[in-house]
Amino acid sequence: MVVSERFENRVTSEVSDSGEALVIRVVGNFDFNLHREFQRAYRNVAPPPKVFLVDLSATDHLDSAALGMLLLLRDYCVEMGREGFQPRVELMNANAHVSHILSVSNFDRIFSIR
Amino acid sequence: MSAFQVLIVESDAREGAALRQIIHNWQYTSASGSALPASVQLVPGSIEALEIYEEFAPNLLIFGPRAARNTSSDEIRQLRQCTGIEPVPILFVLEESDVGAEVTFLQDCDDILTKPYSPALVELKLASIRRFCEFSRSLMAQRDRLRRHHADFLQEQANAREIFGNLGNESCLDDTPAIRYHLSPRAVLNGDLLAATHAPDGKLVLMLGDFAGHGLAAAVGAVPLTSIFYSMVPRGFSMARVLREINRKLYGILPRQMFCCLVMLELDPRRQHLRILNAGMPSPCLKRQSGELHLLESRHLPFGVLSSDQIDAAVVNLRVLPGDRLYLWSDGIHEARNSKGEHFGESRLLQLLQADGGNGSQAFDQILVAVNAHAAEQHDDLSLVELDLTDASLRRRGYSAMDPSGDRRGGRVGQWSLNFRLSQEELRAADPLPHLLSVVGQMPGAARFQEDLAIALGELFRNALEHGVLELDSSIKSTDDGFIRYYDLLAERRSRLSDGWVSISVHCSEHKTGGLLTLTVEDSGTGFPEVRAPRGIYSGRGLDLLQTVCRQVHYAPGSSRVEAEIAWGDGDGSASDDGKTMQSPSVPV
Repeated sequence: MVVSERFENRVTSEVSDSGEALVIRVVGNFDFNLHREFQRAYRNVAPPPKVFLVDLSATDHLDSAALGMLLLLRDYCVEMGREGFQPRVELMNANAHVSHILSVSNFDRIFSIR
Repeated sequence: MSAFQVLIVESDAREGAALRQIIHNWQYTSASGSALPASVQLVPGSIEALEIYEEFAPNLLIFGPRAARNTSSDEIRQLRQCTGIEPVPILFVLEESDVGAEVTFLQDCDDILTKPYSPALVELKLASIRRFCEFSRSLMAQRDRLRRHHADFLQEQANAREIFGNLGNESCLDDTPAIRYHLSPRAVLNGDLLAATHAPDGKLVLMLGDFAGHGLAAAVGAVPLTSIFYSMVPRGFSMARVLREINRKLYGILPRQMFCCLVMLELDPRRQHLRILNAGMPSPCLKRQSGELHLLESRHLPFGVLSSDQIDAAVVNLRVLPGDRLYLWSDGIHEARNSKGEHFGESRLLQLLQADGGNGSQAFDQILVAVNAHAAEQHDDLSLVELDLTDASLRRRGYSAMDPSGDRRGGRVGQWSLNFRLSQEELRAADPLPHLLSVVGQMPGAARFQEDLAIALGELFRNALEHGVLELDSSIKSTDDGFIRYYDLLAERRSRLSDGWVSISVHCSEHKTGGLLTLTVEDSGTGFPEVRAPRGIYSGRGLDLLQTVCRQVHYAPGSSRVEAEIAWGDGDGSASDDGKTMQSPSVPV
C-alpha cells in the first residue's frame, strides 16, 4: 500500500445547483487510501441531500475496497432513512474500465448507474 | 523521570570541582514541570570513565580543560561505543585563549564550553542538551513500543498463516494432476482462498474466493467459508445450498464494507457436466480443445452484500468436451502493475491462453511468468488455477468422503428400510439427498456402497424430478444451446412448482456372504414413454451411469417407478435375473 501520496484533493464534494444532490467526485485511483476522505465527503452534510451522486468521470480505477466504501455509503443512507428521509446513491460517468468492474461485481444491481 | 546524569572527566581536581559546582548550581525545569538537579560524577581520566560508564549511564560527558587536551581520539571513540544507540553528547572545556585557534582535538567533541565560565551560557547549553536528551529518550521509548507491536503482529500473522494453512488440509487439491494451482505466499493473508473437495457421488467441487478489504480482518472470513464448504459439500448438499449458507453466514458476520467474491464450480466427471457460479470474480476462461475461449462472467453479486440472493438463476451449466480446460484467477492478476502503473489486464491473459497449443498445458506457467515479469519488483498477490476437465484421474472411484478412515467397512449393515416422500414444497427448494445419505451413511459398513448409493440416488431423484414431475424432455439437451436452456427451464419450473411428489425408499438386506440395497423411486409423473428418442451426446448419460453402479435397473413403460439394486459380496445370494430387467431402451435420465 502506497501511503506517501497526498489524498486531500482526490475526493471533492459539492452541493449541486439544484441543492438536492451532493456530488462526490473521486479523482484517479479509487482505493483503500481514500477511505477517510471519502467518508468525510458524505458524513454530516447539512441539510441532508436527497441524493448522493458519485461522479466517477475522473476515476481511473476502482478496487474492491472502493466497492466496499460504496456499500458503506449505501448503508449510511439506510441509517439516515431510519431517522427520516432516505437519500439515494447514484453512480455516474464511469469510464469503460470502471463500468466493467461495476458490472463484473454486479453492483449495477444495487446501485443506480447513469 | 530519572535525573540528568553528568559525567565529568578532569585530572585537575580544582577544575573538576569548579565544573561540578556550576552543574550543581544549575536548575532545570523539565517539560513536565518538575525541577530536578543533575547528578554528577567526577573521574580523573577516560579509563576511570569507561569503568563506571555502564553503571552510571550518563546523559552528558564533559571533559575539563586538561582532560580535553590529554585524551586521545581512540579513548573518546571507546567511550562513544559504550553509549549504544542513544546519542550522548561530549563537551570539551576550552580556555578562552584557545578559541579561534586551530585546535585539532576538537573534532572529537560535539560542542565546547569556554573558560572562564559564563554561568548563563553554560546553563543555556546544558538546558538545550537536556531537552535534546529527553526528546531522544521518548523516541527510544516509542521505538521500543513499535518493536513490541511489530513482534506481536508478526506472531499473529504467523499464527494466522498456520490456521489458514490447516484450513486447506481437507482439500483434494493435491490428489489429482488435473488441478494445478498457484497461490502467492501472501495470498492467504490477502484474502484469496482456494478449496476443493469431492461430493459423495464423486463430483469435484472447487471454489476460489477473494475477500475484499485489507489484512487479517479480510482473511478471517475464510474460516467460516472453508468450514461451511468442507462440511456441506462432502455430505452431498447441492452447490446452491452451500452457496446460500455461505452468503447467509458472511452477510451475518462481515462488516458492511467487506464482501467476498467467489467462483464455485461443480464438475461431474461422469456426466461431463460443469456447473459454475461466478459472484464478482474475474471471468474464468473455458478453453475448448478446439482452441475456442469461453468467458464465464459474473452473474451474481459478491457474497455478504445482500441478505437474499438469486443463486439458482446465476448458475451456468456447461457441457464438458474432451480436452477442455478451465482457468480461474483472482484480480491480483488483472491488477498486477508494471513500473508505469499499467495493469496486466484480461486481454494479455486471453492472448496467452489463445496462443497456447491445444493439448499442452503451457499456458499455466506462461501466465505466471508473464505476470511476474510484468509486475516487476512488486510481486502482488495472485492466484491462478488450471483444471483439466476431462482428466481421467477425476473419474477415479473410491472417494468415501464421509468415512475417510474406512473403519465402518467391516461392520454389519443389517436389515432395514427407509421411506421418504417429498411433496411440491420440498421439491421446490429442498435437497433431500444429503439427509438421506447422512442417515444411511451412519450405518456401519456404509462405506461399501456410499458412493454407488450417492450416484444412483442422485440419478434416480433427478430423473424423477426433472422428467417425471417437471416434464422436461431430455431431447432439449441435444444441442449446446439446448443444454443451457434445459437447465434454465429446470430452475424456472422448479421454482414455480405447485403440484407433484417424489417418493424414495431404500431397502437393505444383508446375509453372511453379501448384501443388497434396493432403491425404489417413484414420482407423480405420467411414467416412461414406450419409445425413447435415441440418446444424443448431450442427454441420456444417466442410464450408463446407473448401470455402472447398479447390478440391475428395473422399470417399465407407462410406469414412473424405477427399482435399482446395489449389491456387494454375492448380493442376495440368488441368481440375479428375474425376467423384469430391461437393458434398453435407456432410462430417460
